[in-house]
Amino acid sequence: MLFFIVFIPLVASAALWAMDKDSTGSVRNIALSGASLCFLFSLFLLFGFESENNGMQFVAGITWVESLNIHLKFGVDGISLWLVILTSFLGVISVIYSGYSSNQINAKQREFLALLLALEAGILGVFVSLDTISFYVFWELMLLPSYFIIGLWGEGDRIFATTKFVLFTLVGSLLMLVAILALSLEYHTVTHEWSFDIDTLSHMHLSDGTQLWMFLCFFLAFAIKVPMFPLHSWLPHAYKSCPIAALILITGAMSKAGTYGMVRFCVPLFPSAIESLGLIIGVCAASGMVYGAWIAVMQKDLKSLVAYSSISHLGFIVLGIFSYNSQGVEGSVLQMVNHGIIASAMFIIVGIIEEKMGTRQLDKLKGMGTPMPVLYGMFMLLALAALGLPGLNGFVGEFLILAGVWTSVTLSAMAAIFVLMGGAAIVFASIYMLYMFQGAMQEKNADLPKDLQDINCAQFAVLLPACILVVFIGLYPKPFIDRIGPSVDNALHAVKTVNVHTGESTSHH
Amino acid sequence: MFGYGWLVLISPLLGFLSLSCFGKRIPRSIAGYVACATVGLSFFISLILLVHLSVLEPENRVGGVQAMYTWIDSGQFQLDFAILIDPLSVFMFLIVTGVGFFIHVYSLGYMEHDPEFKRFFAYLNLFIFSMCVLVSAADFFFLIVGWALVGLASYLLIGFWRDKPSAVLAARKAFVMNVIGDVGMLIAAFMILETFGSLSYQKVFESAPGMFLANDINVILITLFLLVGAFAKSAQLPLHTWLPDAMEGPTPVSALIHAATMVTAGVYLVARCHTLFELAPFTMYVIATVGIITATFAGTIAMVQTDIKRVIAYSTMSQLGYMFLAVGLGMFSFGMFHLMTHAFFKALLFLGAGSVIHSMNDEQDIRKMGGLAKAMPITYITFLIGSLALAGFPLTSGFFSKEAIIMASYHSAMGNIAFWALAIFTAGMTAFYSFRLFFTVFQGDSRTPDAHPHESPITMTGPLMILAFFALTAGVLGHWVDGFLSPVFGGHAEHYEDGFLETIAVLVGFGGILTAGLLYMVPSDRVAQLREVLAPIHDILFHKYYVDEIYDFLIVKPVKAISVFLEDMGEKKGVDFAVDQVGVQVREVSKYVSIWQSGRIRDYALNMVAGMALVLIFVAFL
Repeated sequence: MLFFIVFIPLVASAALWAMDKDSTGSVRNIALSGASLCFLFSLFLLFGFESENNGMQFVAGITWVESLNIHLKFGVDGISLWLVILTSFLGVISVIYSGYSSNQINAKQREFLALLLALEAGILGVFVSLDTISFYVFWELMLLPSYFIIGLWGEGDRIFATTKFVLFTLVGSLLMLVAILALSLEYHTVTHEWSFDIDTLSHMHLSDGTQLWMFLCFFLAFAIKVPMFPLHSWLPHAYKSCPIAALILITGAMSKAGTYGMVRFCVPLFPSAIESLGLIIGVCAASGMVYGAWIAVMQKDLKSLVAYSSISHLGFIVLGIFSYNSQGVEGSVLQMVNHGIIASAMFIIVGIIEEKMGTRQLDKLKGMGTPMPVLYGMFMLLALAALGLPGLNGFVGEFLILAGVWTSVTLSAMAAIFVLMGGAAIVFASIYMLYMFQGAMQEKNADLPKDLQDINCAQFAVLLPACILVVFIGLYPKPFIDRIGPSVDNALHAVKTVNVHTGESTSHH
Repeated sequence: MFGYGWLVLISPLLGFLSLSCFGKRIPRSIAGYVACATVGLSFFISLILLVHLSVLEPENRVGGVQAMYTWIDSGQFQLDFAILIDPLSVFMFLIVTGVGFFIHVYSLGYMEHDPEFKRFFAYLNLFIFSMCVLVSAADFFFLIVGWALVGLASYLLIGFWRDKPSAVLAARKAFVMNVIGDVGMLIAAFMILETFGSLSYQKVFESAPGMFLANDINVILITLFLLVGAFAKSAQLPLHTWLPDAMEGPTPVSALIHAATMVTAGVYLVARCHTLFELAPFTMYVIATVGIITATFAGTIAMVQTDIKRVIAYSTMSQLGYMFLAVGLGMFSFGMFHLMTHAFFKALLFLGAGSVIHSMNDEQDIRKMGGLAKAMPITYITFLIGSLALAGFPLTSGFFSKEAIIMASYHSAMGNIAFWALAIFTAGMTAFYSFRLFFTVFQGDSRTPDAHPHESPITMTGPLMILAFFALTAGVLGHWVDGFLSPVFGGHAEHYEDGFLETIAVLVGFGGILTAGLLYMVPSDRVAQLREVLAPIHDILFHKYYVDEIYDFLIVKPVKAISVFLEDMGEKKGVDFAVDQVGVQVREVSKYVSIWQSGRIRDYALNMVAGMALVLIFVAFL
């Protein structure tokens, strides 16, 4: 099942390369069917998933390098389940947006869609990989398509933006590669066996010093990908240049690869490193929360505004992870999904505004709400979700995260300050979101284009699911938390059965 | 047992959903009736709940929690979406849906010609639903949800006329200030969760008395953070500046949200959590002090304002101060009683003001009104009744509720002469400004000769008359309120009798009315002379003590400046510059190895593959 989910977009992508350049109609139909098929399969996951089970489910694998015990092994648990569904869902949305809506990509649509699907496959592979090497391969697979998408379809100083993005991320991922190899070497030293299996490795006891440097390697790679303050400086450039259709996937799903990696690797593998470094990371995450939100307040370019608000929201997620207790991490995982839904919808709205008005500068926008009541309502709902209105999904995640931080042991020295900073970020969020919403949609505007139409069916179709989900998760988060919870507890309490000193492997639980 | 209590919430919610999602299909002619009917149904069910509670034994009236579904289940944190049906929540239901219903009916007439009639009623229904969530929540989490939702409804309705920049700005200001309050509540909720391991009222209030001695630092902190929310929502100092600006919304909104119901949520909160607040006498003292200072502060401003709605808005702030004084003194049922009478007479005054504004073609400046008595007899009489009740004229409802508070401010355990003196001073001001308004608007000659004021339609005057009836007579309910709520508050509030102080209070009230009469009943130049003599004071009061300007200088400007500074220094010259410098330096070095840098994608790909292969080979041979 998971093989289908990962390889369908890849196959569709390859099929697009092989196709005739000029048949745009069938190009986008193939892209859409690939993405939809992938989404359908991921929905099957949801129905087959056992929520009580805290281990990996739908596990399937093939041997890759036998001598080293490297496998291409896939599986999902409660942490990755929702992210897989989110990614395949956003894949469909971004194909519709780039292929069918009135602001579609026109230049080289075939190549664009092919890269988009390859990107989707890469992200999905990251979320389902159970083997460090295959994780790393998919991690790098995410990078290539986004590099070309920003570099070829971007706007403004796109080459600079994409180079910066790639160099930044490469530094991180090379560090991660070193740590991945060292981790398995360590395992080999202890047990005289090779293993790249994440679950097996996470039961290995590591000395504090080893944990520290390996943690830093992994963490830097993830923190750059997220990105987390103060490693975020590629993001404003990259997001500003990146075409909206790809931003849906990049902000909605790819940025979660970093936070997902933290939960998947850092939490179970390096508990003692988190204990010693958690507070410093907490300071960075909390600063990022306030910093991003504060800068967003005065942004005039809607795309930058959403970009900086993303830095703030991702700070929340990282902070929740390093609260290192079940509420905080559960909140973070849920918030990854929430942010994926909200931020991608926000960028779609920015794209629509730019298409209709020819600009996305806040000081040139006004009064779009009167001729566009449907967009007005949807934009308002999503803005409210983004600013964390209780009753909508953003609040559920923020509440759990801050409740986790409040009771956190690792962050206890500064818990109250972090929560206050979170509060400040929430207040700033209400300011910039209202600036954005009211500024674009309200007040009287005599200079509106005469033929301004409300959003069309395709645009409605890409926004509607987000609107439904923000309400549903806000009112009834239980089905989500029920599935996330057991796996999070499992990651938090990874039992260390492989001991360095005796070198013996006792039975795995 | 009270499962049907859910209908109180669901009915207006359905109204909101049907009007907002299918608004296009519902004809305008019935949209208003749909909205009124849903609230009317809620009111009717609240009445049934009242009867149901009344027939029960007093000890069975509390703790009726009705769960609908499990909202979340995360570790030790479990939460049901549940409502609590007890005398306090039913009491609030009755006010919210009762006054709410009459204001809905009034709006049928008031908003008749507005092109966005349906959107207005959708928002009103949303407000009634949210307010019902707030007052019936069975735990702190859904309290916060309701708390934020009423803030949302208030935001939507203040900014209802979204073409007006001032309305857009006022809406944003109200929302952001309320978010500050929400964050305070959120922190209180975390502390409660950590201390009690639960957010449910029942568990918290049962275990609190056994866990804390009086004035334990934990309970003081919890209650103080709750107060941040309460003060923001109820426009108490220093979080009050949004309320006067909120008058940008349509007048029925001011009556419903910014006078009768939402702004009293803070008082409700203190009453609901009385167990916690009673454990923190320090906080109680803070509440009483802030309450009475706000009452006086707002009263002084109300004396010189010239916008009819702003006068009433400041008077609302002032009366809320009285309510906080009452609950701060531990006289919870007095606070709730004043909340009730205030809901009647203040809604009446706002609706009366709406009727005046309507007939004056949206003029709100009282200096341009005058002599409206003849043209609008019903509005005139009902406005008089409202003003009398607000001024605390003997035998009106306001007299009984305010009298009880003023007596308690001196005689209760925490009362003292300063509270009493400020309370009585404010009562005098209240009488003065309410009759200054009344005389200026209705007596004398018209100051705008080309205006043709007319009486409003029956949909508007009907609610005025009904509310006037309650504003006049609700005073007799004082003992009933105390008795009905006593199972919640665990006892009766003591009613202090003191003939001397009562006489002073009555005399001060008369004095206020008399002064207003002398100055404003017949136009004269005495007012102008007085204003000249008191020019510096008048200036300060007219500019509301310059609080907005101070906030702008101390908070708004620095926040914006720092935002720009962070982007400028932090982003462009700081983080980004440092990172780019690394890039530049690396490029310098790479000139020496530039053979690798051919600029062709194919070569890069080849390098990457080669690198990967090297790594794999390296690993394989280990």
